[in-house]
Amino acid sequence: MSKMGWVWIGFVFMLVVDAVIPWFALTHVQKMSGAFAFWLVWVVVAIAAAFVIVRNWREVK
Amino acid sequence: MNTSFWAWFGIAIYIIIGIGIAILARRRMGAGISDFFLANRTLGGFVSCMTYSATTYSAFMMIGLAGLTYATGVGALGFELTYLCGIFMLVFFLPRFWLVGRKYGYVSPAELLTDRYQSRAVGATAAILALVFLVPYGAVQMMGVGYLMNGISGGAIPIFAGILIAFACALAWSRIAGMRSVAWTDAFQALVMIIISAVILGVVVHYLGGFGSFFDKLESTVSGQLTVPTSRGAWSINMFIGLALPWLFFCISNPQVSQRLFVPKSVTAMKQMLGGFFIFGLVYTLIAVLWGFSAVLLVPGLEKADMATPALLSQPFIPVALVIIVMVGITAAAISTIDSILLTLSSMWARDIHRGLINPEVSEARQLRIGQNWVIPIMAVIALIFAWWAAGKSGLSFMIAPLSSAASAGLLMAVPAIFGAFFWKGGTAAGALVSMIAGAIVVLVFQVTGLKPLGIWPGVWGAIVCTVLFFIISLVTKPPKEKAEEFMGYLKEKLTEGKFI
Repeated sequence: MSKMGWVWIGFVFMLVVDAVIPWFALTHVQKMSGAFAFWLVWVVVAIAAAFVIVRNWREVK
Repeated sequence: MNTSFWAWFGIAIYIIIGIGIAILARRRMGAGISDFFLANRTLGGFVSCMTYSATTYSAFMMIGLAGLTYATGVGALGFELTYLCGIFMLVFFLPRFWLVGRKYGYVSPAELLTDRYQSRAVGATAAILALVFLVPYGAVQMMGVGYLMNGISGGAIPIFAGILIAFACALAWSRIAGMRSVAWTDAFQALVMIIISAVILGVVVHYLGGFGSFFDKLESTVSGQLTVPTSRGAWSINMFIGLALPWLFFCISNPQVSQRLFVPKSVTAMKQMLGGFFIFGLVYTLIAVLWGFSAVLLVPGLEKADMATPALLSQPFIPVALVIIVMVGITAAAISTIDSILLTLSSMWARDIHRGLINPEVSEARQLRIGQNWVIPIMAVIALIFAWWAAGKSGLSFMIAPLSSAASAGLLMAVPAIFGAFFWKGGTAAGALVSMIAGAIVVLVFQVTGLKPLGIWPGVWGAIVCTVLFFIISLVTKPPKEKAEEFMGYLKEKLTEGKFI
């Protein structure tokens, strides 16, 4: 599979995790260390992945 | 002197500075439609980032998202961060929009669709979709300003006066020098709004005894708001998907933001724009949500959740000077979104509807005059009327955040056509056209009637209908093969050269 295909799969996986973890694994954790902390870590991972990809971009003519 | 006086004083200073920046920008403005609507595609990384941030983040954040957090808890954070995660898609779309914008001279995102599908009707339909669904989105920004000024002044400034101020400023900023003045005023406004909102959060958290104590208080008093669904039943999975799906694709479906993908002057500026926006978005989202949670602790039991921020700012421990500055910051956030919407709508009307459907021979100068003199004022007045009407309503549907998401649900219907334009040579004009129209009808009917079959929200039904229709109709109709080959061939070559994915 192409690099683009893998990146799309990774993105879709992140979206699935976005709903599955808070609504199923953390649904009874009534603390800031529950869904609140999860979503923060989750989005930082997404942002870090984007930075890694963008870092390689080069000027075009 | 009372808070009301200082509120008027702060607004006056803000308007004077804003007009000064806009007039300065006008001096740098060249002739032609590309200069007016896209600042001639020469914005640096910092201004590109700030205008993208200020256009995206509006009264929705500090009024709407804080209010949504106040009413429904932590799910509001997940909802907004899902949007930020959606920005990840710009690693695909930003270089693509930027490259073809330069190559083919597109001014509006709808123009891209017109050319790629070789159909004026496709671009015109995308433009009409934007005209219909961006009006409520622009209107909620005006409502946000109205609520804020009314709340902070203790009712001395009527909601409609706030709405009127937002209307007048946005009209002026977008008329004076187009994208350049909007981008420069956006940069100024984005800085004001993030710095001041962070300072206010610091004051509030300090008052609550620091972050540790703040979080402890939340866990002990409103722990039911820290899960999804909440103990009061908010944030069912259907509600989350219904609100978050239109938000997820916001970066490509909302033309006022996707048009900004055309404006960076270089790849370096593009990188700075995207990286800067991620950081801005994360910080601003956290601040808005923590404001909402602070309001839960400090001003519980408000009748209208969108008044959470004004009520929080009315607390006596927050210095009046800070309150006035933050009011200006939020007003700036709202106006920076409205003026961008007006500018984008005027470019879409002039390029995609007037030139596309009414008079294909119309000159650039005439297009510019139509956009400046007719479309911007008319759309601003329509948004003003909508804001006036909606501000008098109550209930979840008329809260700023759900109303904003509902507007984006309609714009979501252009997403399959946008994906098809870049990734599927088999996509056809008929598929794009039917999918946008049918999807928009589904969304409108479900939103107006309040129907949610199987508990699923209108935007999700619309997305299903338009995606299926785009795919099926494209399979049975003839694609513009030559254009698709040329368009994607060019992209392939340049994407490889720039090491994009």
